[in-house]
Amino acid sequence: MPVFKTPFNGYSVKFSPFYENRIAVATAQNFGILGNGRLHVLELSSNPSLPITELIAYDTADGVYDVTWSESHDSVVVAAVADGSVKLYDLALPPTSNPIRSFHEHTREVHSADYNPVRRDSFLSASWDDTVKLWTVDRPTSVRTFKEHAYCVYSAVWNPRHADVFASASGDCTLRIWDVREPGSTMILPAHDHEILSCDWNKYDECIIATASVDKSIKVWDVRSFRVPISVLNGHSYAVRKVKFSPHVRNLMVSCSYDMSVCVWDFMVEDALVSRYDHHTEFAVGVDMSVLVEGLIASTGWDELAYVWQHGTDPRAS
Amino acid sequence: MEKAIERQRILLEHLNPNSSNSVFSSSHTHQSTDISASFCSAGETGGSENDVVIVAAYRTAICKAKRGGFKDTLSDDLLASVLKAVIEKTNVEPSEVGDIVVGTVLGPGSERAIACRMAAFYAGFPETVPLRTVNRQCSSGLQAVADVAAYIKAGFYDIGIGAGVECMSQDNISRIVKTSSKAENFAQARDCLLPMGLTSENVVQRYGVTRQEQDQAAVESHRRAAAASASGKFKEEIIPVSTKIVDPKTGEEKQIIVSVDDGIRPNANLADLAKLKPAFKKDGTTTAGNASQVSDGAAAVLLMKRSIAVQKGLPILGIFRSFSAVGVDPSVMGVGPAFAIPAAVKAAGLELGNIDLFEINEAFASQFIYSSKKLGLDPTKVNVNGGAIALGHPLGATGARCVATLLNEMKRRGKDCRYGVISMCIGSGMGAAAVFERGDF
Repeated sequence: MPVFKTPFNGYSVKFSPFYENRIAVATAQNFGILGNGRLHVLELSSNPSLPITELIAYDTADGVYDVTWSESHDSVVVAAVADGSVKLYDLALPPTSNPIRSFHEHTREVHSADYNPVRRDSFLSASWDDTVKLWTVDRPTSVRTFKEHAYCVYSAVWNPRHADVFASASGDCTLRIWDVREPGSTMILPAHDHEILSCDWNKYDECIIATASVDKSIKVWDVRSFRVPISVLNGHSYAVRKVKFSPHVRNLMVSCSYDMSVCVWDFMVEDALVSRYDHHTEFAVGVDMSVLVEGLIASTGWDELAYVWQHGTDPRAS
Repeated sequence: MEKAIERQRILLEHLNPNSSNSVFSSSHTHQSTDISASFCSAGETGGSENDVVIVAAYRTAICKAKRGGFKDTLSDDLLASVLKAVIEKTNVEPSEVGDIVVGTVLGPGSERAIACRMAAFYAGFPETVPLRTVNRQCSSGLQAVADVAAYIKAGFYDIGIGAGVECMSQDNISRIVKTSSKAENFAQARDCLLPMGLTSENVVQRYGVTRQEQDQAAVESHRRAAAASASGKFKEEIIPVSTKIVDPKTGEEKQIIVSVDDGIRPNANLADLAKLKPAFKKDGTTTAGNASQVSDGAAAVLLMKRSIAVQKGLPILGIFRSFSAVGVDPSVMGVGPAFAIPAAVKAAGLELGNIDLFEINEAFASQFIYSSKKLGLDPTKVNVNGGAIALGHPLGATGARCVATLLNEMKRRGKDCRYGVISMCIGSGMGAAAVFERGDF
């Protein structure tokens, strides 16, 4: 399956919810520590033996840490930028008109962005300034700021069923569940003893959520009985950077880690680790599963490579 | 530049899970030199593929010698059961094992080594897998594990078994009959001939341990062991052994399965213990009740290079970090742990305060109390599931037995328990200690 070389270090990868052959890759120069960023939109050929081609790329003055596709417009993407800004790009418009919006409210690096998949009109940004912000495309300022975490917020993700519910994962070792109609968080889970870098909701059970931590583990929780996790997945040998539930199989999830591997898990069986992919040669920090093609996985890492492959096959085999 | 340093710090925190809650206190104080230093240590603690790891540790039940469940079981049968267990539980191919090292003390050297080799055949090992015995008295089982760890580290082989066996029903502690007349002129050599009980009385006298303290330690050992046994904690480490036993009255032979330690007395109390007469010296304080029990038992530990364990997908129970054997005055041989533990902890690059759990062999309550006090150990971290006073002390097996007990307890305690120590005193004046790190659980 194909691979794409990015000039900068990969930070995040997302499949388009509209086109099965389109992905966006967020990258940052010098490991995201210092320098520019670039957002790539890539096109997979229908023939897997042909290389991935670049549809367009947008340069930024600081690293791009995350990207999320609009759920309402097939050509719009949102970039989370390390300079604290959130930028919107419309692929249908000429490069000179882009970015179409740039929201600069976060006082520190924006680490994640997530478009609301139910209401499809708003998105979240999570930042190292300890806050999460809610935005709509048409407003010049954020709708709301959620400030409760005591350290960097690494990830904020919408619930796939409830339009107003989202979860946030923070370096303060807690996961918080929010309802945007409520003034404060509705639930606080002290999910790990170490920083939590990522979280994601199960796509088939709106009460199940996974957390990934610096403690090397992934925990799966039922928010109705959150004192003990349903499952603890051990197998990564360094911090787990991102976790993502499969859009197609209830119990399947994918994760990537500073141990350079991408792992696929079945959280309901005892030997939870289904597959380990060792194709990256530096920290694996971005991973996604396609909604449109079952079993299609994309990953990116600090080795400046973005891979797309079918689960069960070797990502490096072309 | 300020921003870049801060970004680097945030990312490095992800690689250095030890500083978990320091993220708040240190969030605005950073030095670039510190940052790169922690990066390196993360590489070490995150697990090097050259680490020697323990993937399995099992023991038999420990039974009272001459009266307990293994009174009619021979050493080869006892050893075979644990050798077989470590292979069966992990599905490791027996032919891949580079060596089996067995700690065994009382049996006659050469004969016992042959019996152990036979045990390997009963357990299903092919002729190609070698075996040897090791005798460092009471630390033989730990020495066997340390030897295997060292050989793996040296690259002599990748997978090995450290084990121990003792049948005190069959082999008695005997006095040395003949030694050179030179011993007369070497006080310390002469002290090597002292019965162990007298060295315990020496510790009592020299360091001032009271009878009541000793009896109290015995009560605590029984209480903790009884609680651990009742709550099923030992089930994970004990391999049930099917064996035969002869009824002493009828002479009838029966087949039994032994899966529970039979020396634990849940109702041990100070009043009863106080009634016991000193066992070694008229005005002494060491009794049958506050000394280790004479027992039968065996244990085995499967070690390998981390890279091999990962390749085989085996769960890592623990990491072997360091081992030290030290010499002490033979007349107070029981003080061994007080010297061996700091040596092993230092060799692991740690401090005593880093250790979350201890298994210190209770050869005698006197020396156990002295050693714990001397090091200022927190009693809630030492022998949390009882020790040899309650469980018994099958000399050659004890060290390997402690590995199974320690690592399973560390696994239960999880993240709050990172480093554990096993230590014991050694007849003729020595001490041994080893440091283990909790594995992936």
